[in-house]
Amino acid sequence: MAAMIEAIELTKQYGRVRAVDDVTFRAVPGRVTGFLGLNGSGKTTTLRMLLGLSRPTAGRALINKRRFRDLAHPARQVGAVLEQGISHPGQTGRAHLVTQAVLAGAGRSRVDDLLEYVGLARAADQRTGDYSLGMRQRLAVATALLGSPPVLILDEPANGLDPEGIAWLRGLLRDHARAGGTVLISSHLLAELAQLIDDVVIIAKGRVRCVAPLAELYGDGAHRLRVRGRDPHRLWRAFERAGGRVSSNGYALEVVGLSPEEVGELAFEARVPIYELSSDAPNLEQIFLDLATA
Amino acid sequence: MIALLRSELYRTATIRSSWISIAVFSGLGAFFGTVNVDAWALLAGMGAFGLAVLGVTQHFQHRTAVLLYLARPNRLLTLLGQLVASVVVAVGFAAVSGVTVLAKGDLTQYRDTLTLVPVMAVFGAANAVVVRRPTWLLLGYAGWFVFVEGLLGRLTAPLPFSSFLAAGGGDRTGLLIAAAWTLLALLAAAITVHRDITTD
Repeated sequence: MAAMIEAIELTKQYGRVRAVDDVTFRAVPGRVTGFLGLNGSGKTTTLRMLLGLSRPTAGRALINKRRFRDLAHPARQVGAVLEQGISHPGQTGRAHLVTQAVLAGAGRSRVDDLLEYVGLARAADQRTGDYSLGMRQRLAVATALLGSPPVLILDEPANGLDPEGIAWLRGLLRDHARAGGTVLISSHLLAELAQLIDDVVIIAKGRVRCVAPLAELYGDGAHRLRVRGRDPHRLWRAFERAGGRVSSNGYALEVVGLSPEEVGELAFEARVPIYELSSDAPNLEQIFLDLATA
Repeated sequence: MIALLRSELYRTATIRSSWISIAVFSGLGAFFGTVNVDAWALLAGMGAFGLAVLGVTQHFQHRTAVLLYLARPNRLLTLLGQLVASVVVAVGFAAVSGVTVLAKGDLTQYRDTLTLVPVMAVFGAANAVVVRRPTWLLLGYAGWFVFVEGLLGRLTAPLPFSSFLAAGGGDRTGLLIAAAWTLLALLAAAITVHRDITTD
């Protein structure tokens, strides 16, 4: 059963410091929601309140309309990856998973399958203290998946993973969302996140700055063209007459609202040779920095 | 509750440092039992306290408390499960290490010690839930025992470890005082177990 994550006017105060201030957003089934913020912006505190590890000063953190602590079988409803791959360093990977499977009421039979799935089958009998950071993160993902939960909450899960591991994690999370699951992920690897997420929540200084689908956030930026020609002034006028919005970065024209085909035809009609015509890829990092530091 | 107990016991059995500690202290206790029964009783009692402290604080030290509370968000029930697990481990350790005392036929000392061991285990586990850091707790209580209970109280004042010592010697009043301190520790644990799990 798919479940929704809801933060409603969530606030956390430590003494005089308001770490999280009136945060409201939702992460819905079938979509991957990226939770973005600079260090110290309140991301981890928010996730911990959602998971019942910290008590909110005000507001509500709900999963499928219930507080985490009120969920009947939490491990079967929510899987979480927090911190840098938690495990006792003196336990083997397999023993760690069996401990958690028993604790979560999940079958021990899943342990070997999950070890295989996360690529740790050969290191299963190695102590986790000897694992690399990437291996510990894979073990953390396996731990989160023990109860086959519809909701996944992940805090910087790509830390320590190599490029292959990041691609594996991206595939796993996309498949989970495609199957109707809900994914809420925080990460500072924005380029990676941009390839994964459907919706964005941006938090800065404890307050939500933006909640939007990624496509909407990109907006016109998704069709921004970069044009360089022999006579930029004549091109500028031609593009504006055709309804384009034109600006210049000092080197090339940036055109919004026209397709590449239209720009090519307009330049041809204006008899201006084109030296460069490219489409700027949307840049989540720039959008994020603009919003986070605003 | 049963799942939590099974998980805690499995965890103890599969962490190398834990089962090696239990095995070494059990062997040492068995040796003490052949030489001096009082020494065994002291080791069994302090061992029960130490194992309970380490069993609980390891969760905070290695951050597995996060996983514990994610799987079992009802913290009072989790506390109860940890207390029961601590008692099972402590009684098992004391019972096995005391085989030489039994062999010598000192049934009274064996019985008195095994009566006290669960109380000390609960006291240790409850304190561990409050303090969360093994070094602070063990060093703090070492200092408390030497300076407050030893030097000031002369081990006769109605304080926790003095009463544990008296109870280990079969003193019923000492056992009652020890139980009262344990109840107080339990109350503190039940209140503080709801604290946030911080990232430090």
